[in-house]
Amino acid sequence: MKRAALTPTAEATVGPFFPPRYVDAGANDLTQFEGRKAKGEVIEIGGRVLQSDGQPLENLVVEIWQADAQGVYRHPADPRHAQADPDFFGWGRAATDKDGRYGFRTIKPGAPWGRQPHINFMFMFSGLMRILKTTMFFDRSPDPVLDLALSRKDLLIGKKEGPGLYTFDVRLRGENETPFFDD
Amino acid sequence: MSTLIQPRDERTQPTPVIEGYPQTPMRYPGEPLVKRPPTLSELTGPAEVAKRVKLLGGDIAGHGDKQAIGQLIHLKVRVLDEDGAPMGGTVVEIWQANAAGRYIHPNDDDHAPADVNFYGAARVVTDETGSFTLRTVKPGAYPVPTRDGWWRPPHIHFSLFGKVWLSRLVTQMYFPGEPLNAQDRILNSVPDTAARERLVARYIRPGADPYNALVFEHRIVLRGRAATPGQP
Repeated sequence: MKRAALTPTAEATVGPFFPPRYVDAGANDLTQFEGRKAKGEVIEIGGRVLQSDGQPLENLVVEIWQADAQGVYRHPADPRHAQADPDFFGWGRAATDKDGRYGFRTIKPGAPWGRQPHINFMFMFSGLMRILKTTMFFDRSPDPVLDLALSRKDLLIGKKEGPGLYTFDVRLRGENETPFFDD
Repeated sequence: MSTLIQPRDERTQPTPVIEGYPQTPMRYPGEPLVKRPPTLSELTGPAEVAKRVKLLGGDIAGHGDKQAIGQLIHLKVRVLDEDGAPMGGTVVEIWQANAAGRYIHPNDDDHAPADVNFYGAARVVTDETGSFTLRTVKPGAYPVPTRDGWWRPPHIHFSLFGKVWLSRLVTQMYFPGEPLNAQDRILNSVPDTAARERLVARYIRPGADPYNALVFEHRIVLRGRAATPGQP
C-alpha cells in the first residue's frame, strides 16, 4: 500500500467550553429529517456517562452514526446507498445533563452487510485528549466488531427496558469499563 | 467514493494521560483500546452534516460599533486528506476565548471580563479547495483551574467532520511566537516535534487584506485517503 504523504493533525480535547449552541435543538432526534418521518421502528436510547470514580459527567458530547431500518448507510461508500431511506439522516448529537444522562430518539437499524444491527458512538469531553469510540449492539449475536471485545462483550449490549426502550451506560474508566475501539 | 484508513503514528498524537492535567487519568480508559479493522460502518459517516446543522458563518469579530475588542485577525485554513487532496464540503466548528481569555460559557467562572460583542463560536463549511476563512480577534491566554501556574496559550478549537466516521477530528491551533506554547501541557502532550509544530499557525507578512487584519494560515489534515479503483 502506498504510504500517504501527509500526517493526520494531532487530536486535542474539546476543553470545558464546547459551545452549547452546537448541540442544535432536535439534533438528538434521528426519527425525522427535513420534516419527513424516517421508516422503521422508533426507539429511544439513553444512558449515563461516568468517569473513574463513578461521578457523572455533565456537558459531555455524544454523537452517533448508524444505518437505516434496512441496514443501509446514507453515504456513497455503501454499495446500496441508492436505496437508503431519504428521510433518515443517520447522525445525531446530544450533551449529557448534570446526572451524566444523554438520550437519543432514533430508528432501530437493520443489519448492514456482514454485521449485526448496531449504533456507533463517539464521546468528546474536557480531559479526553482523543475522541473515544465505541459501538452499541442489541444482542450478543456473533458480529466481527462485537466479538473483538472478547470477555467484555456484554458491556456493549444495550439493555432492553421495554418496547423500543434501551439503556446504554458508558463507563469511561474503572469498574465495568466500556470497551472502546482503536481503528 | 470509498476511503482508506491506516493506523496513525502514535508519536504524532497526544499522550492521553497527562501529568498535571488531573481529569485525564479519570476519563481516558484504563484498558487498552480494542484494535478494530474498519468496516463499512466506520468507513461511512455524516458527510452531508451541513444539511443537518445550522451554519453560523465565519465572521465572528463583529462590525462598526459592535466590533469585538482585541487584535483583529484573518485566519485562512485549508483542510486536506492524507494525500493532500482538498476536503471540500466539510463542516468545521470553531470556538475560542475572547481577547481577555474568557469564554462565553456557564463553566467559565474566570474573572476575565466578557465582551458583549464577542460570542466566540463559528460554524462553516469548506469550499471546493478545502478552504475556509475566519475573521475574529486573537484569543487571550488564561490560567487553568489547577492553580499551579499552568496557563493555556492563545488557541482556537476546531471540530471537523470529514467524509467518514473515522475522519472526525477535534483539535486546537496555536499562534507562533507565544512564550506559553513551550509549557502548555496540552500542546506538549504530542511527542513528535514536527507534529507539534504543525499545530501552530503560520504568520503571513502584512499586505493587502480585505479585512485589514493580521493574517495567519493553517493546515488541518484529516485521516484517510480516497481509494483509487483496483486498490483493496
